Amino acid sequence: LLLSTAAEPWPENAALYQQLKEEQILLSDNASSLAVQAFLQMCNLPIRVVCRANAEYMSPSGKLPFIHVGNQVVSELGPIVQFVKAKGHSLSDGLDEVQKAEMKAYMELVNNMLLTAELYLQWCDDVTVEEITHPRYGSPYPWPLNRILSYQKQWEVRRKMKAIGWAGKTLEQVLEDVDQCCQALSQRLGTQPYFFNKQPTELDALVFGHLFTILTTQLTTDELSEKVKNYSNLTAFCRRIEQQYFEGHDKDSSTTVAARSAKRSLLR
Amino acid sequence: MAAPMELSCWGGDWGLPSLHPESLTAYAKFSGAPLTVNTINNPWRAPKGDVPVLISEDIVISQPAKILNFLRKQKYNADYELSAKQGADTLAYIALLEEKLLPALLHTFWVEAENYCCVTKPWFASRIAFPLSLYLPGKMSREALNRILLTRGGPPPYSLVEVEAQIYREAKECLNLLSKRLGTSQFFFGDTPTTLDACVFGFLAPIYKVCFPRVQLQEHLKQLPNLCLFCDDILTCYFRLTLSGHSPAGQDIADANLQKLTQLVNKESNLIEKMDDNLRKSPQHPPRKLTTLKLAAGGEGSSPLNRLSP
Repeated sequence: LLLSTAAEPWPENAALYQQLKEEQILLSDNASSLAVQAFLQMCNLPIRVVCRANAEYMSPSGKLPFIHVGNQVVSELGPIVQFVKAKGHSLSDGLDEVQKAEMKAYMELVNNMLLTAELYLQWCDDVTVEEITHPRYGSPYPWPLNRILSYQKQWEVRRKMKAIGWAGKTLEQVLEDVDQCCQALSQRLGTQPYFFNKQPTELDALVFGHLFTILTTQLTTDELSEKVKNYSNLTAFCRRIEQQYFEGHDKDSSTTVAARSAKRSLLR
Repeated sequence: MAAPMELSCWGGDWGLPSLHPESLTAYAKFSGAPLTVNTINNPWRAPKGDVPVLISEDIVISQPAKILNFLRKQKYNADYELSAKQGADTLAYIALLEEKLLPALLHTFWVEAENYCCVTKPWFASRIAFPLSLYLPGKMSREALNRILLTRGGPPPYSLVEVEAQIYREAKECLNLLSKRLGTSQFFFGDTPTTLDACVFGFLAPIYKVCFPRVQLQEHLKQLPNLCLFCDDILTCYFRLTLSGHSPAGQDIADANLQKLTQLVNKESNLIEKMDDNLRKSPQHPPRKLTTLKLAAGGEGSSPLNRLSP
């Protein structure tokens, strides 16, 4: 199936679907969406972002974001990278086998630690759940649907946390894990512009998506963003990618870091 | 020197020190930590109910990550010579193992029906006291399936067959990646084993050695000779295992058997000696005096005969 669509060029009207940016989207979904957007920008493939309240239900796997290209619908960064590769665009072709293994390992590290920490903070930390998650998640829907949907999602996420052993962790331990992950990323990045020196890869897109979102989203406390700010090469990395790939592409806001964080701080 | 620390974990078989991928026995060997390894047969009796558990003096530590941290703080650090970047690589590869290889490992052990019924359940049930042996393996199996579905399954309704296909595909890819990363070196970071080697060994060894009826993951692993060599090297160097599979526990048993045999032989020889003594003292065979033959001719003829009497 992929071979037949591989011959088709990337259409102009490719769309990326996510939840509503101002009122509804949460930290983890925003991070994932930004990662995909960054990846597509790095591949020079145009995409427009479409915000829908029911995006989660439209997605084939239930996870966001998903892209609608031609007559194909693909969700999550991993499958999207494969899909784009089948169309002939790849960022990691220049890597040798050992580097590819390393890249995949670091992507799993980000998924395993950063994404899980974001989910924990959103759905298992009671303060954040009450003040931010519940009001935002169901906001497009009337009462009582909004509460029902958000409790249902919370139950699902907590089940998953329990299965992987994160339910017993305290917030401090989760923040410790975030710090450990950021330290590893910072050590791996070193003084290079990108993780594999001169050219960005999907790993850079993924790390950018998560770190930038953490840095620019205002939560009940600043502890999470402080963990990232401890590593200056990571903040410089985010700024560099933002300037290179998002300047002038974003249609509805100016794109300096300051402007973005002001905009994000309105996310409450 | 402080009292030796005790590590309680699931025991091993098929030539392995432990069947549990996160039992840390390999890390203990690599870092030189003085541990006595107890194979437990009842996880609920272990403090906090988790396995593995490290007990050092009065401190009880229960999760693998925390145990590793504790050992490092006690200066048993297998990563002493690693650079910062290599330390970061370690974390990344461990995440890769947990995300991509662990689901398939859990599936092979606990969810695949034939494997579970023929091998895993009897093995664990034989090491757990009755009546827990009826309940605990089933619970572990349900937890494994739960974990796989929650982390890999899409929104319901999903097809279990598709999920299984996906996790095995990812696991085989993960094994390929590990093989490429290892290349021709003996360990992942040069010539000395580190935490990453311990973790990879913990995951690979059960796949490699345990004899299951359904073995697609094992077959794939056997096509990657550098990983098989990696496991065999560690087993022979650090766990004094011969390739035919006698574990140190087996060695002890062999020694004990030898001892018993020696005792038996000694006993037998004691018995024989006793019998011999009895034989000599027994009234049934009194020393017989040869009647001296007195020859008519003279006394000379009889003297040699006289000398013959005992």
